[in-house]
Amino acid sequence: MIAPKCNERPVISFQQVWKTYPNGTDALRNICLTVPDGDFLFLVGASGAGKSSLVRLLIREEKPTHGRLLVHGQDLGGLRRRHLPHFRRQVGLVFQDFKLLPRMTVHENVAFALETLGESRRVIELEVDAALDIVGLAGMARNYPTELSGGEQQRVAIARALVHRPSLVIADEPTGNLDPETAWEITQILSRINAEGVTVLMATHNREIVDAMRRRVVALERGEIIRDHRYGTYDEAPAASALRVY
Amino acid sequence: MKLLRRARYAFTSAWQNFWRNLGVSVAAVVSIALILVLAGISLLLGHALGQVLDTYQQRVSVLTISVADDTPLSAVYDFEYQLRQRPDVVSVRFISKDEELKNFSSDPRNQQLIQQMEGNPLPAKIEVRAAHLDDVKRIDAVARQWRGADRNDPTDYQGDFITNMLRLSTWLTVAGLTLLAILTVISVVIVMNTIRTAVYHRRQEIELMKLVGATEWFVRGPFVVEGVMTGVIAASLAVGLLLAAYRPFVERFQSELFFLPLSYDPRFVPVLAQDLLVAGAVLGAVGGYVSVRRFVRL
Repeated sequence: MIAPKCNERPVISFQQVWKTYPNGTDALRNICLTVPDGDFLFLVGASGAGKSSLVRLLIREEKPTHGRLLVHGQDLGGLRRRHLPHFRRQVGLVFQDFKLLPRMTVHENVAFALETLGESRRVIELEVDAALDIVGLAGMARNYPTELSGGEQQRVAIARALVHRPSLVIADEPTGNLDPETAWEITQILSRINAEGVTVLMATHNREIVDAMRRRVVALERGEIIRDHRYGTYDEAPAASALRVY
Repeated sequence: MKLLRRARYAFTSAWQNFWRNLGVSVAAVVSIALILVLAGISLLLGHALGQVLDTYQQRVSVLTISVADDTPLSAVYDFEYQLRQRPDVVSVRFISKDEELKNFSSDPRNQQLIQQMEGNPLPAKIEVRAAHLDDVKRIDAVARQWRGADRNDPTDYQGDFITNMLRLSTWLTVAGLTLLAILTVISVVIVMNTIRTAVYHRRQEIELMKLVGATEWFVRGPFVVEGVMTGVIAASLAVGLLLAAYRPFVERFQSELFFLPLSYDPRFVPVLAQDLLVAGAVLGAVGGYVSVRRFVRL
């Protein structure tokens, strides 16, 4: 286990957080986790381990039952509803099912996030072009999501998550619906974003990618953190088999 | 500037959504327009009835006090002054015996009577206009206690008629308000169902808006605007139908439907149009706001 560096300002801080659902199930138990600014963290665990519950707490879709959860220094448990939009503008979200709007073009899907914030047309054009450039889709701005492959759709979703320049990106199983090669590409894009200083938290059950990246790994089991390694692998013992280099 | 851009977004989005779900939108417009036509008919009938009642009320809110022949003029002036000081009295007019005879003589129906009359048997009168219909009773009581009033026929107060008129007026107000309340509820429910359909079609978009940091009002705005749009289009349709049918209907059925106070009043047309347009807009806004409330809660 590792301890967070004390001199780093944490972006995320779980302080003895519990999440109990109305039916009495403890989805998260006594979670203590600190994610410093600029970190890249894999959140791993089997289905039902608590990954999704943890992500839902992080984007304040739900509140902790006990304990404190701070993101960018804001206590999400006590965050008022009227402050929630402002909080969410500091976070970029990427989902397994992409969540693209099929009736909008690639450009419109990415621009949508900025339109929601009331940005001017000029700013929207500049930022959307920049975000599509980062994910390598500058030439597909006029295409519709249905005309794209799964990997391309996920890249659009990443561009949308980045377009408002968040300091934290939370990716919930972003490679879950992708083939291994595309999954690797998506992870590389997230890694490049992280190299620019953006904190990335990626929930995944993709063993090969976690083992190949050798980044911080937090493993959940039955709602508890069972492992937190700085250069970890998916399993306790590093996988013997080497990952194919793409 | 941001506010302006958000308003523009709400209008653009509402307009697109209205056309995208054209079938549902047209159904809602027609349903609300029919309800507003009903509301408009009840307003027109209410207005016509109100005019009839007003005429009667104006007539019976004037109390005529007959002055006994032996009352000195100074006593009449004193009483006239007392009445003018009352807050429930609008105006007081003294009509002398000579003036009353002149008025009586000027009516052609009285010519035979005039020829049979000796001297001037008509009493002098004091005409008192009350501020409200229900003030007449109090003024009548004061008049009857006045010594200068004619003992046999002190006033022309028609107590039962006034009581019945007040009762009728109250009932008509209550009935009109009840009808409008029922029509309002029906309209709101129709708008709510329309907007709910739109919300259902756009639930993924709404979900995304919330996740990328849109405020509740940013999400709600287009739906409220769409509700207003639906309401105003429906109201315009209703106003058009009513205006087209109002005059021909009154002219055609005025004599046949004698029990209804039908009359064409061109001055009421702009009032009716304004009322229905405002009602349509408000109903639409309320329907839009309520229907989307549950979906946009962050």
